[in-house]
Amino acid sequence: MSEIQTTVPRNETPEDRCEYCGNPFPTSDRLVLHKGLKHLQQLDDEEEEAFLAARSEEADELRTLRLKALGALVLLYFGFLMLYAIFA
Amino acid sequence: MPSLPKSNVPEERGEQEQSFKRRSRRLRNWFGIQRTLRLGGLFLIWFVVITFFVDVVAAGNGLTLSKQPRDTLAVPRWLYLATGGATIGASALLASFVTDRAFITYLHTWRRSLRTPETWWHPVTWVGRGVGIVTLVLSVYLGYAGPQLPTASFTILVTFAGIRAALPIVAYSVGNVWPALNPWRAIAAVLPSGFLEYPNTLQRWPAVGAILTLVWVEVIFPVSTVPTVLATAILLYSTITIAGAILFGPASWFENADPLSVMFRLYGAVSPLQRQNGVLQVKLPGSELRNADVVTDVSDVAFIIALIWELTYSGFITTTAGATTIKTLVGITSLGIVNMDTRAILVYTLLFICGYAVFLGAYWYASRVSRRSTGTYITARTIAFQFAAPLLAIAAGYHFAHYVGLFASLSPALVMALISPLSPPANPLILSPPSWFEGVGIASVLIGHLLAIWAAHAAAYNLFSSRLVAIRSQYPFVAVMIGYTVISLWILSLPGAIPPYLS
Repeated sequence: MSEIQTTVPRNETPEDRCEYCGNPFPTSDRLVLHKGLKHLQQLDDEEEEAFLAARSEEADELRTLRLKALGALVLLYFGFLMLYAIFA
Repeated sequence: MPSLPKSNVPEERGEQEQSFKRRSRRLRNWFGIQRTLRLGGLFLIWFVVITFFVDVVAAGNGLTLSKQPRDTLAVPRWLYLATGGATIGASALLASFVTDRAFITYLHTWRRSLRTPETWWHPVTWVGRGVGIVTLVLSVYLGYAGPQLPTASFTILVTFAGIRAALPIVAYSVGNVWPALNPWRAIAAVLPSGFLEYPNTLQRWPAVGAILTLVWVEVIFPVSTVPTVLATAILLYSTITIAGAILFGPASWFENADPLSVMFRLYGAVSPLQRQNGVLQVKLPGSELRNADVVTDVSDVAFIIALIWELTYSGFITTTAGATTIKTLVGITSLGIVNMDTRAILVYTLLFICGYAVFLGAYWYASRVSRRSTGTYITARTIAFQFAAPLLAIAAGYHFAHYVGLFASLSPALVMALISPLSPPANPLILSPPSWFEGVGIASVLIGHLLAIWAAHAAAYNLFSSRLVAIRSQYPFVAVMIGYTVISLWILSLPGAIPPYLS
């Protein structure tokens, strides 16, 4: 497995670094999710709670994204239905 | 509590263990939440994907089944292309519905080990390589001494119907058998070797250069029509390969510099049959493409894009639009050269190089956009590496679309040539593929892209901890994939022509 390389852009300061592997993260949510996924064994109770909370918040956002994707699919479907009705 | 310094008190350790067990149980429960519900939902989603896909393919078949020339399609060409592009876009949207990490990991790590005695490997490899050496020697000898009719020539049939068409198909649909056939490796293995250390900085760049050169030679020189020219090319290739393998040692040469070995290894990453640590395993097709081991350097990315580009290019120049483009370019650019043929060769070469640069540039730009739009600190390079392996599924789809017809029509001649190489038939049997074969081409391009979309989705989940970021990171690559699909579907829909100036 090749290493995941990271760089921080010059005009930005990372929100935080993972204390287990040192990777920088632009937002604390992403750091919390990273720790929960990659360093599950090492987390204490508090960090675990934070991870679960971030997960459920992410799940809410994913639901919105899915709705948008569904909307896009419906648009695509009807768009093509119209196109085929006119041109084919 | 766990952050306390290590303690030797057994009670405390027991407590720690218990708390850890409790926690991991909680997390396990959390990961397994509504598992059945999710699986049900996934079934529904994939049902929709497949229905949508089958519809489009049926439409594609309908387009090409008619006996009329394709220019008089009932559906305008732009609509056919837009439908192909939309299929890819829609499947990317549908893939974004699958957000269960555990499910994705399950699909990509599913494997069944086949019980194969380790002692078999050696004899099988040596028998295969023996066959390879005999075929190589016969190819060179019969190239000069055999019949000069292309469809009766052992050399041309083995090279183009065998190594160019059939072996890659075997590599991506079954498993990579090239290491067990490679005649050059067999020759180099018995000679003293390893006089120089292979420079690590070169990585796979020699292979990238070599595969582009091979395709260029295939286009410019009559290697596919004149057996003596092909035999000379094979001799040249053999000399370079054996010299390189002796100089740097077979292991590093065939791993890095030999274009055929690198090509078969990469195509083999798509296949369901994988050999890991000496154990033969059956996996789901394309599940290896998520693996970060497949692409570890920029040169690997360049090689994969070269595979996609060479198929696009050789497809394009054999269509009427390609022929017209070449003629126009040769007509308008004088380049200070009077000889038309020299100018044409220059135009072919420039088009080949520029197109490759555009394809590579588009991919690299997508990885930069992906990085910028998600605001991640992971480098564009790492992102480009992760998303490159899924492109192999696209390359496999193109390859199948372009070569399955050639292979089918030449297969009886190939079988005859392999059975009796020294007594070629005067009038070899050449099949003409039925018209529905064009539908097979369109279907394989779409299947390749769908597999690539899925593999890219899984790769993104491998790379990013946030699922939202993982989904958003794919958008630029989906755009590039739509671009590649539309181009290759367009090429497949054009009537064929003989490339001008290259008789």
